[in-house]
Amino acid sequence: MLASIIASGLAVGAVYALIGITYNTMFATSRVMSFTAGQLGMLGGVFGSLFTLRLGLPILPALVLTLACCALIGVVTEIVAVRPVLKSLDQHLYVLTTLAVALLIQHMTAMEWSTEPQPFPRLLDLGSGIWDEKYWLPVAVCILTILGLEYLYRRTLVGRAFVAIAEDNFAARALGLPERNLRIASYALAGAIGALAGFAGGQLLLAFFANGPLLNFYGFIPVALGGLGNNRGAVIGGFLLGLFQQAANFLVGGIFSSVAVFTLFIIVLLAAPQGMFGAQAARRV
Amino acid sequence: MTITRRALALGGTSLAAGAAFSTHLATPALAQNEPIRIGWLAALTGPSSAPGIGFNRGVLFAAEAINAAGGVKGRRVEIITRDTQGDPTKAVNATQEMISQLRVHAIWGPTNSGESLAVTAIMARAKMPNIHPCVVDTLIDERRYPNAFRLTPSNTQWDDAVRSYCLTRVNAKKVAVIGDTTGYGVSAVNASVAAFQRDKAEVVYKANIDATQPDMTPDMLRARNAGAEAIVFWSVSTGLIARLLNTRANMNWDVPFVGHPAMSSGEVGSLVERPANWEKVYAIGYKSCSYDASGNLPPRTAELVRRLAGKVNLQDSLLWWVSSAIDAVELIAKAVEASNSTAKEAIIEHWNGLKAYPGYYGTYTYSPTQHNGYPTEEVVMSAANSAKNGAFALAPGY
Amino acid sequence: MDATTGTAPPRAAAAARLAGPLRPLWPFLLLLAIGLAMPLTGNEYWGLITTRMAIYWVLVAGLNLIVGYAGQLAIGYVALLAIGAYTTSVLAAGNVLPPLPAFAALGVAGLAGAVFGVVVGLPALRLRTFYFAMTTLGFATIVTQITLAWQDVTGGGIGIAGPMLPAPFDTTWGFLYFCLGFAAICTWLTANIARSRFGRALVAVRDAEVAAEASGIHKPKLLVLVFILAGALAAMAGGLFATLQTYITPDAFTFDLSLLFFIAVLIGGRGSILGPLLGTAILTVLPEIAAPLAAWSTFLYAALLLVIVLAMPGGIAALIDPRNRRNLPENRVIGPQPAALDALLGRREVPAPLTLRGIVLAFGGVRAIDGVDLEVTPGQVHGLIGPNGSGKTTTLNVISGYYRPEAGSMAIGPAPLPAGKPQGRAGLRIARTFQTPRLIGEASVLENVMIGGTTDGRTGFAEALLALPRQRQEEREFEARARLALEAVGLAGLAEARADRLQHSELRFMEIARALMLRPAFLLLDEPAAGLSTEEIRRLGALIRGISRHGTGVLLVEHHADLIFDICDQVTVLNLGKVLAAGTPAEIRVHKEVVSAYLGA
Repeated sequence: MLASIIASGLAVGAVYALIGITYNTMFATSRVMSFTAGQLGMLGGVFGSLFTLRLGLPILPALVLTLACCALIGVVTEIVAVRPVLKSLDQHLYVLTTLAVALLIQHMTAMEWSTEPQPFPRLLDLGSGIWDEKYWLPVAVCILTILGLEYLYRRTLVGRAFVAIAEDNFAARALGLPERNLRIASYALAGAIGALAGFAGGQLLLAFFANGPLLNFYGFIPVALGGLGNNRGAVIGGFLLGLFQQAANFLVGGIFSSVAVFTLFIIVLLAAPQGMFGAQAARRV
Repeated sequence: MTITRRALALGGTSLAAGAAFSTHLATPALAQNEPIRIGWLAALTGPSSAPGIGFNRGVLFAAEAINAAGGVKGRRVEIITRDTQGDPTKAVNATQEMISQLRVHAIWGPTNSGESLAVTAIMARAKMPNIHPCVVDTLIDERRYPNAFRLTPSNTQWDDAVRSYCLTRVNAKKVAVIGDTTGYGVSAVNASVAAFQRDKAEVVYKANIDATQPDMTPDMLRARNAGAEAIVFWSVSTGLIARLLNTRANMNWDVPFVGHPAMSSGEVGSLVERPANWEKVYAIGYKSCSYDASGNLPPRTAELVRRLAGKVNLQDSLLWWVSSAIDAVELIAKAVEASNSTAKEAIIEHWNGLKAYPGYYGTYTYSPTQHNGYPTEEVVMSAANSAKNGAFALAPGY
Repeated sequence: MDATTGTAPPRAAAAARLAGPLRPLWPFLLLLAIGLAMPLTGNEYWGLITTRMAIYWVLVAGLNLIVGYAGQLAIGYVALLAIGAYTTSVLAAGNVLPPLPAFAALGVAGLAGAVFGVVVGLPALRLRTFYFAMTTLGFATIVTQITLAWQDVTGGGIGIAGPMLPAPFDTTWGFLYFCLGFAAICTWLTANIARSRFGRALVAVRDAEVAAEASGIHKPKLLVLVFILAGALAAMAGGLFATLQTYITPDAFTFDLSLLFFIAVLIGGRGSILGPLLGTAILTVLPEIAAPLAAWSTFLYAALLLVIVLAMPGGIAALIDPRNRRNLPENRVIGPQPAALDALLGRREVPAPLTLRGIVLAFGGVRAIDGVDLEVTPGQVHGLIGPNGSGKTTTLNVISGYYRPEAGSMAIGPAPLPAGKPQGRAGLRIARTFQTPRLIGEASVLENVMIGGTTDGRTGFAEALLALPRQRQEEREFEARARLALEAVGLAGLAEARADRLQHSELRFMEIARALMLRPAFLLLDEPAAGLSTEEIRRLGALIRGISRHGTGVLLVEHHADLIFDICDQVTVLNLGKVLAAGTPAEIRVHKEVVSAYLGA
């Protein structure tokens, strides 16, 4: 029983961590926390199911198409909800615009896809029991994603440009970095990462429109725990959250487990607003 | 000021209702040719809309059939639909609108327990004849709500059917009772556990599981370790059902699932990993909508299915949704016909005198002190995976 | 409302009165009259919708102070509606205690709402915007789950009957009148707060948090007061909601409802009362007359939110605000009035000088200030110059408490000046301006200036809530003082204009007026001449001299060497965080190192 709690805890934790990374990727280049992060995860599952089961595509093309669709939605989000409000970042209008876009996405999905959870196919058909692919696949994808991002940020020119923008927007612009294009690219990347989360976790979460707000919240907790913009912190936070949540499900039951998670989240945030590995707030004057 | 609204009903349903803002005219005696206005509080969109869509097909079919046959003593039946989306607040608004502005003669619905609880007192205040398919026991209270009648079984009747099936036909001495974390799930599980305990059965495991929980293994392991011989299930969440069934298969456990009709929903069939996972699942069904051992429906239902053929799609709906809605419209029409009046009191009085009225979905009997009119013996268990034209095969043991 | 009471300030008799949020009053009266006339239709359906509108407005009126005024994005406020609804219903039904009368239960619900309003709001005191929005959503979930789980008390999923109010409020029309009356009172109460120094402080916290701190506004204390009020109103709205619904179950408290409240404020427009009131009315009625769109209602809310934020961020309020249309005079000049300065500052006791000794402050290993000594003498202008990055503004920020130095001491005379604590500076009569003007664009110039006097407010929140005479008297004094300050800097003619319509140079003078509101002992000016014309700089110099001659010690950070040498009594030159030279302008002008390093002569 412990093994199954750990397996499912790590699996959902990996999905949460990936959504956390989605938040971070968008935040890095725009300083914007977007409510669309969870919706991208939800769409990963819905598009995956749409392309494989409804349209009958093989897994690989379906995955590529899913990533492309979500990347496109990421870019649209940047154009519609982020770019227009960047000028007045301190007014926090992005909270409202991204919330609006997230609701539009969710409601469209409910109306055009289904309000009932829809099946998601087995991808590799490997493993059973606690070694079933639905448990280890999200974990593997999460690890690959974080390794890929590390490689991108450290070894490639584009990645270093991302880092430069994230650390000092003005200086990066002064250096002549194409800030706007990099921001669009990072939103596309975030869309793809969110889609990966939904695709890898599809067998666990199913293709269900209501996964959006859920992932949005549970994906945000790793960010809050790990510190804004800190991907490694998000991964650790995600796995901790997954394990805590599954253990709470088991120990106190379905009704109180969400209360336990929310309460813990609020208490931790109040105790350490910067998260476990976060930096101090920037200067204001 | 004229306010026109057109309900969004599938298939271009509702006959547009225009109503004058401040007319005080509409008294029932006004015109014998005035249409019979039936308010239909439907949850046609939003999360629990599948039954609403099924009911709606029955409502439209019945109204068309009556009108095609010349109406009720020359009076047309007019269906006025409002989509509540299952939201109590929208249902309250729509109910008041039907009472005060649209001046309907009777109301069918709403179809979900939360909205029904919210509007029952409002309808009672207006003495509005109301017939609805919600199972929550407290919705029927002949003294406080003399206007409200239940078309379907109550939750207690459902519960009795499930419990008696578990205890007498499955012969389970130890049961696990599982529901979701919604309002319905929590209260249904509590009621079910209490009833099993009253019958001296042992409830070895009780759980409310969050429908979004991705893995059910711990819960199922606990139920098995506790020695459960049947799992009694109360939830409308198809995702939760499918996950439980898949987990059961992965554990190689052949415990039967007995409980909520949602377990027989076609959605479950698409969500289970293997069709075999849907075996040994027994969902609440109705004698009128069940195939016997030789695969035949009861004659009256068979006749209805013939009438519905080509007009009403039963593939993605359940027969009982359609047939109960037909019964509801006909009950209202018959009351007007028999009492020759659309007065509220007349309709209620007629219903109160119904003895073994033969509907398609059930045989109803109401009296001033009993508004739960559906006979318990017509509630049966069906094999959840046996759907054909919206009806099911009886579960083993009948 | 009482916006017409009181006498016109002596020096601005011709100017319009300070416009309160209930000005003009007729739209409110019209809405109320429509509501009161509802029974004439005889249609209980519209009675129900109007009642619902009034109840929602009770909640939104409070939420408006949080979202619209203080700018805190509380999305999950349906949690408080649920708490109020359940508290009232449970107490009236007598599930736990002997049944209470409905009104008593409603009162207890208000108290519960006040407590939980603070609990829900607390994270706002520590967390960033998005985080706070998330925590309010978290609370909404927790409340729903608890109402489900606590079946003995709340009825769990089966729910509980709402309370019945006693006669004559037990009929549709009686209840409508009760709710309308209650809503009218709530409108009045929240408008009282909005037009008091608390309301101005809320807006300042939203739009110019740093300036708010410098004006002595203590954000946590202020927000807690507003959370108490909004929580109490929301919970009482919940009690009435339960009565209206007749029966409540957890699924009545949907996220859609929460969204409706939140968006009502935003489409109404921030910093307005009428806007959100109209927003609430529109969002309540719209689904009723657009029934075909029922399935798309959330979609429409979301689309509306997006359009509002992108296309008309001011919301309905901006459309109906006359201040947007009235043209400001062209070719206006800023003409400071020394006489007004006399009236404002008068002759005061000369305070002890402000001294800095050996201040050291490093940012990540770089010493921004490295042992600075400085003395600002009352009645004198002290210039602080130096190349970019030499530590001038940083020194100012250390004095105003934004930075905590690592070493060194500050004192006013013998009394040490505590490091940090920017909100405490206003109380010590230390005022300042900023390199980039910090203003509340949507508020009038007059209101912007009045912010500067917040710390002198003596009347409490409750007095403001009820607009008691002492509080109204204090408001009149604030207003008169603000008009004097505006006259002193030469902006009297623009008092009623929206601040964001002013030119850059005018904003610089407005900031000085805001600082003068405090009748400061010490005034810290951060590059006030930047972006000003030669003529304006000359007037600024005269104004600064004038201020110092009334006993204020002025610390002037400036790049314009001419201005510095014209008006300063003392000059300190910084370079790389160290004092390069200090003395009279004449001494500095010939200081060898200064000339070579900075003046570049």
